[in-house]
Amino acid sequence: MNSEIRQFLFDSLTVMKYSTADMDDDTVLGPAGADLESLALAELSLRVEDHFGVRFNEDEAERFAAMTVGEFCAEVARRTQTATAT
Amino acid sequence: MSASVAVTGIGLVSPVGTAVDEVFEAVCAGRSAIVRPPEDHPLHGVLDAAAIGPFIDPESVIPPKEARVVDRSIVMAVRAADDALADAGIEIGRDVDPYRVAVVLSGVGGLATLAEQAVERSRRGRLGVSPFLLPGVLPNMAAARVAIKFGIRGYTSSSGTACAAGGQSIGEAMRILRAGEADVVVCGCTEAPLFPTFADAFGNALALARGWPDPTDASRPFDRRRNGFVLGEGAGVLVLERPDFARARGAAVHAEVLGWGATSDAYHPTTPRPDGSSAAESMRIALRDAGLSTGDIDYLNAHGTGTKAGDSAEAAAIRGVYGDAMPPVSSTKGVTGHMLGASGVVEAAIAMVAMRKGLLPPTHNLDDPDPACDLNHVRGEALPAAVDAVMSNSFGFGGHNVSVIFGSADG
Repeated sequence: MNSEIRQFLFDSLTVMKYSTADMDDDTVLGPAGADLESLALAELSLRVEDHFGVRFNEDEAERFAAMTVGEFCAEVARRTQTATAT
Repeated sequence: MSASVAVTGIGLVSPVGTAVDEVFEAVCAGRSAIVRPPEDHPLHGVLDAAAIGPFIDPESVIPPKEARVVDRSIVMAVRAADDALADAGIEIGRDVDPYRVAVVLSGVGGLATLAEQAVERSRRGRLGVSPFLLPGVLPNMAAARVAIKFGIRGYTSSSGTACAAGGQSIGEAMRILRAGEADVVVCGCTEAPLFPTFADAFGNALALARGWPDPTDASRPFDRRRNGFVLGEGAGVLVLERPDFARARGAAVHAEVLGWGATSDAYHPTTPRPDGSSAAESMRIALRDAGLSTGDIDYLNAHGTGTKAGDSAEAAAIRGVYGDAMPPVSSTKGVTGHMLGASGVVEAAIAMVAMRKGLLPPTHNLDDPDPACDLNHVRGEALPAAVDAVMSNSFGFGGHNVSVIFGSADG
């Protein structure tokens, strides 16, 4: 599941004009790494919600800035499993 | 009479080009930009005639990550501002304190992009709406983008006075400079109305020219056979400076803004006051503001869109102000179409070049002047003339009237 999410994340970032060439699981999504700013993080959240059918709260998108790619994929996977279970 | 201000930079995006002299040559030669929208244009099959500006890659003027959901009006404005500031040869922070620079950049905003997103919202619900929609469409965002790009940190605003907004932005800039609230103002207007909903709104309101087999015949200000205006798009940005500031930094000055006036018709949301009395008063106020009399005006660039009611009301206003001592008058929209608020800035640039070259552009397609528009028309060929002062009119839906007077740089 994580690899599917990672591929979706990288495809989304490419559409959003971010280079994924140097990204790996340890790359931080926010200014310390991939440099997604607030609106870009909001768009990424929407894309994930649309594709995987999960839902984020308004304040959660800001927390993604501190997450690494690996942590973000794990979080989406956890939500996806929770959504499926319920 | 109050102090004049210096015009040191001009940047244009118009259906007849982006270089100022290229635009001027087109309006003098009657080289019309008006076309039947091609198959790949959103207005194909919607309008018979439109004035379409050049393609500008959004990523060429806005960071690519922010350029995916940004309206064409903002893209054109930033491009025009790039050119105007380069023309002025001014670098914010090096040549001027960023807090002493203002931006007044107007327009109706990114309605085409808003319309696209409304369709996505209907189709996909909340998830169809981009978080980048607001910075991509709000009417203040052209001003904000220019401020962000160039590090301008003084006063910023946008005027929402429809087709008068370009002229009004120049006037507001003048007011800011006269008040000593800035040394430099980047001002102008941008409009991208060429999408079906907006086009149908003007068409259904019976404002657009219709029924012309050759689209280059459709825009014919003051002509007896005129039947509406031709919708166009574009942007115009000027850099204005306090004259002593411009002189101190050794800037080349294109022209001076000598005065301006603004009034309201207080009559009807779209129909101009038929006797043109409020429009006449805006011209009189501009003359007083500039310390000039009617005999000092050597050329008048009319709003002249080609609507029956608008042209005859403006003609009545001009005649009311100038009487028989009327300067040569022309409308350049016969060639450029009507770029809504942006027209006021593009036409200001045309007026400034007319002064420099001593040449007055004719009204294109004015084959048979309407007796209801009895003016001292320039028609047929461009008219050589010594020009020291010009008046430019801009009038907008809502009854907004603005007149701006420019003088030659060496005047």
